[in-house]
Amino acid sequence: MPATDNQGSFLNRISIRRNQVVSMDGNHEQELEDLELFQKHVADRFADLLSQSEDTLGDGLLSISWLRKLLDVFLCCEAEYKAILLLGRDPSQISKPPLDKLVPEFHDRVVKALDVCNAVSHAVETVRNYQKLAEIAVTALEQRPIGDGQVRRAKKALNSLMILLEEKEGSNHKSTERAWSFGRRSTNATTSSSKDRATSASQFRSLSWSMSRGWSAAKQIQAMSSNLVAPRGGESSSPALPVYIMSTITVFVMWALVAAIPCQERNGLLTHFPVPKQLGWAQSIIALQEKIGEEWKKKKEKNRLAGLLEETQRIEKLGVSLIVFADSFQFPPEADRLEEVAVQVAELGETCKKMEEGLVPLQQQIREVFHRIVRSRTEVLDLLDQGGKVTAPVM
Amino acid sequence: MSDFSSVLSPREGEIHVIAAAQHIVKALEANKNLDDDLRKILSQLDSHLSAMTVLTTESRGTGFREVEEQLKYAEEKIRGWESNQSLLWDSDEFDPLEVSEFLKAIDEIQALIEGLRSLSVNGNGKQKELLNRADSILQMAMSRLEKEIIHILVKHKQFFQPKNMSFRSCVLDVLYDESFVSVEDIPSEEALQRNSSGKESDEYNFDLVRPQVIPHLKSIANVMFGVNYDQEFCQAFIRVRRDALEEYLVILKVEKFSIEDVLKMEWSSLNYEIQKWVRAMNIIIRYLASEKQLCDQILGDYGFVNPLCFVEISKGFLAHLLNFGEAIAMGTHEPEKLFRLLDMYEVVADNLLDIDALFSEEAGTAVRFEFHELLRSLGDFGRATFLKFGNAIATNASTRPFLGGGIHPLTKYVMNYIKTLTMYCNTLNVLLKDQEAADPNPVVEPVNGQGVSSITHCQMACHFRSITATLESNLDSKSKLYKDGVLQHIFLMNNLHYMVRKVKSGELRLFFGDEWIKEHIVKYKQHAMSYERATWNSVLSFLKDGDGPGLCSASKAIRGFTIAFEEVYKNQTGWSIPDPELREDLQISTSQKVIHAYRSFMGRKSSSISEKYIRHSPDDLQNYILDLFNGSPRILQSSRKK
Repeated sequence: MPATDNQGSFLNRISIRRNQVVSMDGNHEQELEDLELFQKHVADRFADLLSQSEDTLGDGLLSISWLRKLLDVFLCCEAEYKAILLLGRDPSQISKPPLDKLVPEFHDRVVKALDVCNAVSHAVETVRNYQKLAEIAVTALEQRPIGDGQVRRAKKALNSLMILLEEKEGSNHKSTERAWSFGRRSTNATTSSSKDRATSASQFRSLSWSMSRGWSAAKQIQAMSSNLVAPRGGESSSPALPVYIMSTITVFVMWALVAAIPCQERNGLLTHFPVPKQLGWAQSIIALQEKIGEEWKKKKEKNRLAGLLEETQRIEKLGVSLIVFADSFQFPPEADRLEEVAVQVAELGETCKKMEEGLVPLQQQIREVFHRIVRSRTEVLDLLDQGGKVTAPVM
Repeated sequence: MSDFSSVLSPREGEIHVIAAAQHIVKALEANKNLDDDLRKILSQLDSHLSAMTVLTTESRGTGFREVEEQLKYAEEKIRGWESNQSLLWDSDEFDPLEVSEFLKAIDEIQALIEGLRSLSVNGNGKQKELLNRADSILQMAMSRLEKEIIHILVKHKQFFQPKNMSFRSCVLDVLYDESFVSVEDIPSEEALQRNSSGKESDEYNFDLVRPQVIPHLKSIANVMFGVNYDQEFCQAFIRVRRDALEEYLVILKVEKFSIEDVLKMEWSSLNYEIQKWVRAMNIIIRYLASEKQLCDQILGDYGFVNPLCFVEISKGFLAHLLNFGEAIAMGTHEPEKLFRLLDMYEVVADNLLDIDALFSEEAGTAVRFEFHELLRSLGDFGRATFLKFGNAIATNASTRPFLGGGIHPLTKYVMNYIKTLTMYCNTLNVLLKDQEAADPNPVVEPVNGQGVSSITHCQMACHFRSITATLESNLDSKSKLYKDGVLQHIFLMNNLHYMVRKVKSGELRLFFGDEWIKEHIVKYKQHAMSYERATWNSVLSFLKDGDGPGLCSASKAIRGFTIAFEEVYKNQTGWSIPDPELREDLQISTSQKVIHAYRSFMGRKSSSISEKYIRHSPDDLQNYILDLFNGSPRILQSSRKK
């Protein structure tokens, strides 16, 4: 679903209707109707995402294609939100309660979201590194006849991959020092010494801090959600509600990205943030949140947390299995075993292809989200600025 | 290799031909004067001939003896090196012979593998085993080469040392704060610094890796690409070069900030970081040109791999620079940011062509796009900040009159600010032109009159005149705060004179034009005249009255005059005309008017004035007038005695 189409038609519709009603006192009713529509769209879009998350063919929850769809949804909702917030509204309303408090809070949140976008976008580079290493393994193991040379080549790449997967959780030093349990025992003499492991880990380290030191994705998400309170009573309709809805969506999207892509410092990432159960538009978000939260907990228990990205998990699983194969490899190979491996290699190749096709567009889309957030923020601030011209410093 | 494949289906009868050919090849190989390429071809030919022999003799059961022996030979060589810890391309122990032997051994194995593979249609146990061994040795050699490239790249990396690496921590700045206390004339140093820290004239590329190892890297690349280990080569190459760039970031003292950090940062730190950023941008684009050169040297033969690697190396780093820029463009539009912001805009604009050229390939599209986007954001921000500056002047309000009627800090601030802006003339004109197009009420006046400098009519000049007009009207309202109407004139005269002086003193003259200057000289002179009239006409009227034939005696007139003069003295010594020339001019013209009237009155009426009424001689008065406008209130001694 192309984001721009929806946005265009929706904006037109809203602005036309606003023009019709702007002279009437019934503006408020119109606003309620728009808000109703917005909630419905949000509910529909996330319901769509929820149903795609059931996909078992590799494009399900937290796959690259799912994340791209999630970002599309974000862009659509954002456009609609901005229309509701700005079109036909007297700018001075933004500097009056409740918006005078909600909008700056929202802006604080989106600035944090921008940093999350950057951290995630940078971390996509790391995921591309996983892909590159997996590709080497695929190249090696696709060769026929297969022999010690190919197997060793594949294993070398897969070992680097495992170190890298582990390293990405590496802000936790305990886990970096911990020797990776598979494949280590029998790796050849040059890579098994701990000194060598340290150097090969450090070869990737430069990628592991993209943000300023001490910056933590987990803390950002925490901070973004900490003052997220559903509007109550008289505030529960416009204009406080759309701000709350968009805030929730922003937090959810950023949270899902951080869970999927191993960006800087995810220790202590929330598994859950509160969204009131009775809200109609939030049902699918709540369901998705539970699913992702479950996944996160499951992975955490296994202490394997290179990100929940479907493709990464698949690479990891296949990598582990192929290392086991490599460790026990003896020339000449058994035909049965080879067939089994060929299936895994094909799957790994397929996954790499998906990553090759999807990661760069994903990165660009994250950037698009970034620019969109910046622009919207600027628009609102400009509007406030024009409204606030009269208040100048007095000497 | 394909050249040989056609030969690879010999018939029984040709076995002798093959043997003869092999003999010739061996004889040729013995020649010591062969160049490397030829030697390589011969060795490959040799291996192929062996493989052919294998195939033809296979049926007779002689087997793969020849191949096996060659394999064994190469294997021994490579294993020998493998067990040796010291690296082949280590510059201290670099042995060209050893290196070429190693590369030759790889060539041999490669040729054997090719030969063996081309035979493997029916799958023979022995042949498979040999192939397995050969592949295994090849992998060992490649793993070794991977280590070697990393070693060479790390050991021989060099950093780009721009000439003016030294970085001045902070330059003086036009600071805008509400009290305007920190405003002083900007030293011309800023102008000097701008010119010197811009692009350096020497636009040569720098060797980021010592040139003597480039051929080694190239030959390793050739070998690794030749046997389809290109992925490993690129991974290692990208990794080391990316680390070097990361290291360079530290050398350039560019720190990583989150957007949140930047938005919260104090202006003084931000100012410093921006200057570092601008400098880093200038340097880094040239560094990247050198990086590109390195990629071209080593990967130039491998098509799209080359730009792909280059983009991979530089992307992360550039993302960091871009983000800082975007973060700055998200801040608030304080006027004091404008200069630094224009610096940023200019450095991106200046380097944009280079960036486009560096990232011209498909792989670099996103990088190019992002820089154009950043330029747009910075431009929008710069324009908004400039326009906001005008608003800030219009709305700057005072509640108390400015003491002494001197030059208001706002006037100084505005004039120094626009004077500094002249250095950014071209950039601002571009930015404002974009805005003009969208504005229904443009500030730009239609050009009329001939022979006027074109600068006088550029966008910026029009904006400047509009800004000073805003300033004048603001000063006008500020002057209304004085209870004493006469002081209003002094205040306006002082400020207008300051504006004219600033405009006349440099570049600004071109922007404002002679017309403007003339007009404003007239304005402040009018205020001077109004001052004289308002102050002295009433004082001198005493003397005029004393001249009359009627009731008023001369003595009474002189008394009234003296009291009025002393009153003026008490008031106006506290007033201030900071410009010595302007002060002198006013004192002289006052003197002429007052002393002349006084002297002639005394001359005419001296007989009818009692001595005791004459407190001051004309010479005294002249001296008293010189005390006026010095900004320190005084009282005449004589009047106190009375």
